[in-house]
Amino acid sequence: MKPTISFVLQLSPATAYENLEAVARNLLDGLDVLLNSGLVKCSVFMDGPTLKMLRKVAKPLAFGKIRNGIREGILEFLGGGFYDPMLPLFPEETQSQQLDQHRDILKKYFDIEPQGYFNSSFVWEMGMTAVLEKSGFDYALVSEAAIQATVGRSTPVSGWFTVEDRGTLMRVVPVADSLTEAIEKDDLRWRVIAESYCHGGKSAVVVLDLPAQASEIVAFFERLVDFVETNDVQTWPVGYLVNQLPPEGSLSYLMSAGRKLGLPSSAMTCRETLVRRPEINLFQKSFLNLYRRGHDKLAGKDFTEFCDALLPAMSPMFFRDLANEEGMRSLKVREWGFRYLVSASSTLDSLMKFNGLRIEVCDYLLQGRKQIWVENPDMSLLLDYHAGGVLRSFYHKDSAVNLLNAWRDDAEPTFGFLDCLLPNADMTAQQIEQALSMREYLLRDPYEYRIKRLDSGAEIELLEEQGFAVGTKRGVFHVDKKFTLNPSTSEIVADYQLGNSTYMDSRCFFGSIFEFGLMGETGGRIVVDGFDMKWDGKNPLVYPEANKLEIHDYGTKCTVTMSFVKPAAVFIGAIFGASSSAAPELFQGVRVYPFWRTALSVADEMNFKITVSVSKG
Amino acid sequence: MRADLIDIQVEDHGDDVEITLSGSLGSYQLAAVREKIEMLADGPGCFIFVNLEHAHFKVGDYLDLFLELLNKLQAKDSKLILIFKNEEQEAYFAKYRNIFEIYESREAYKDSGLSKQLLQIGVHYGSKTGIRLSPSVAIALSLLIVGWAITLFLIIAAQGRDIADKQAQIVALQSQKDRYVHEIERLETSIGPLRKLGVIEDTTMLTSFGVIQDWVSYLEFLENSRREK
Repeated sequence: MKPTISFVLQLSPATAYENLEAVARNLLDGLDVLLNSGLVKCSVFMDGPTLKMLRKVAKPLAFGKIRNGIREGILEFLGGGFYDPMLPLFPEETQSQQLDQHRDILKKYFDIEPQGYFNSSFVWEMGMTAVLEKSGFDYALVSEAAIQATVGRSTPVSGWFTVEDRGTLMRVVPVADSLTEAIEKDDLRWRVIAESYCHGGKSAVVVLDLPAQASEIVAFFERLVDFVETNDVQTWPVGYLVNQLPPEGSLSYLMSAGRKLGLPSSAMTCRETLVRRPEINLFQKSFLNLYRRGHDKLAGKDFTEFCDALLPAMSPMFFRDLANEEGMRSLKVREWGFRYLVSASSTLDSLMKFNGLRIEVCDYLLQGRKQIWVENPDMSLLLDYHAGGVLRSFYHKDSAVNLLNAWRDDAEPTFGFLDCLLPNADMTAQQIEQALSMREYLLRDPYEYRIKRLDSGAEIELLEEQGFAVGTKRGVFHVDKKFTLNPSTSEIVADYQLGNSTYMDSRCFFGSIFEFGLMGETGGRIVVDGFDMKWDGKNPLVYPEANKLEIHDYGTKCTVTMSFVKPAAVFIGAIFGASSSAAPELFQGVRVYPFWRTALSVADEMNFKITVSVSKG
Repeated sequence: MRADLIDIQVEDHGDDVEITLSGSLGSYQLAAVREKIEMLADGPGCFIFVNLEHAHFKVGDYLDLFLELLNKLQAKDSKLILIFKNEEQEAYFAKYRNIFEIYESREAYKDSGLSKQLLQIGVHYGSKTGIRLSPSVAIALSLLIVGWAITLFLIIAAQGRDIADKQAQIVALQSQKDRYVHEIERLETSIGPLRKLGVIEDTTMLTSFGVIQDWVSYLEFLENSRREK
């Protein structure tokens, strides 16, 4: 039997986007190979930035040739999101915006309107049916596993099905997962596997990732042509399959958590990534917050300009729990993602002519409890008063960076101003590092908040009794934690007042943990009281009496300065995450812990003050 | 604490403070809303805008809260302006429509008249600084200041004119001097050949050291004058 395969070619998640020009040049050459051979009829999906780059680097007549290929049915361009986002994570308006933007660019460059919807993550939720129908799609590619789960079978599924939701209809075409895997891995049994999909004249859809490196793309296309020619495979674009074959039946429900997202197989939806990874959740909520604010306050050209700055943050890369520059486990990807968000925030400020100070008490993270969002034209921060008055994010707008951007493998968020008491014992830097990374001895009880507006800005006062346990010793401190902010600088002054509320003396070390996502690939340096620490980026150290600590990050070109009214001992250590080899060797950020010896007798009080400021340069 | 059910936002722009309440507000939230609103309104700011566009009041008790807030703000000479444009809120506040100042947006209030805003700023800062002026005194003071300004301007203008006259005179004298110098040069040129022939004695070179150009000439001059004696 001659197998019929519908190849779908897509960019690999690991595509070298920094070198997109080279990727585009090679893609054009590869498509040229495909069109010259005339043997392989396939579907292609490229996101908006790649299409734009393709147009930029195309030689004369290259696009004409592609258009001709499309007319002859050799090539089919699939539609999707401009930045290929996972649609269920975003508001419906942004979903439509992305789809329409991609559709417009295909119309402009190739004079076609895409018939099929493709998403490289293969995420599907029923709500997408209406959005896709509204955007004019006839069919959508989904993962085979999702359809198998719906129809309750484990045998191969091919052909196409229909799903309907709220009166809208969509044709769904399953991708032959096992055949894709076999062809990708050059498994010689691929023909046997193909037969199980292609019985009854049906076509199997095989999705192949183009090589991530530009230099390998042309060779890939040559191999594909060679494969089809050698094995006498009949090929169709997916659209042809949908138009020519009858439906296999209707599905009452379809749900797919997607693939290559770093989610466990038990995950039912892509939103699992938000639950499992606080960094991704924070990123998505920051996106939503910005979008809603922009949507409320802007209109017309201003809104379009704002969306142009914001929508790149919908790229799937920023929602995957993967390392190696494919997902948010990579510090570089996180920096990249937050650069889009913080730049969009600056754009919004300038379009709204925002000045002054904005304080918002809302459920920012959509977790059923409130946080305090503070913003001025220079910075913004999220203060979680329920979790011990910690900072969840700290954006410096000038440098377009989120400073609290480290990553913890235990799926705990990274914090700033996380208060911690260490026992009154002789501890080495390694022991302190262990205690801090295990998050022991923390003061993390909820606070009551008070906001005071002042002539020079505002003061957020957090007041509460904080229980602690250091070894066998238990106690309660009355903590008054006051953050002073002003409308025009990126500076936070944290004023602590600790009172011993128990009937016994308390001796310990009190300090505050900061987990900065700084000093990544491009490195940086740490200066304490003007003295360059020449820190190796690995081994922890403690500087005994510091008045001022500076962290210079060469990548983001920003400097964080922490100054202490009362000289503090400062712990500096690295945060590492696990890589694919399971060893914790991926650098994820810098942990800083300024601390003071506190010997509090009954009803004694102590004051500490930390000023954190950020500047560019 | 029921404060957790409130979405509240404050934007501080110096004199303008906008407090935004959103969400569904029932009896349970009343105490918390009161506490938070009073906390946020209790600070600097001349115009306190309370944006209620996205708030949904389930009970009528919030009217009393806003009336109390209005009283408190009036006591400290700040102004309360309610911001909304939906019919639900129109109906909710209909009873006190003539008491509250209600506008569609902050910008709409700003466009509604400059004089009342200036007056409000005057009243606010008057109470803040302790300097209270009656309108007539304020007008008199303004006139005095304007008068001073005009006088100053006139003095500067007069001095400017004087300086311009003097400059014109200087220019005229300078050109006159140039003319004279030119004339002298012309005369010297005309008598030059006669002087060379010795017909005319150049008196300008006899009476002073004007002809002495260097030390050698000076010493010769001294020697000659000694010999002559």
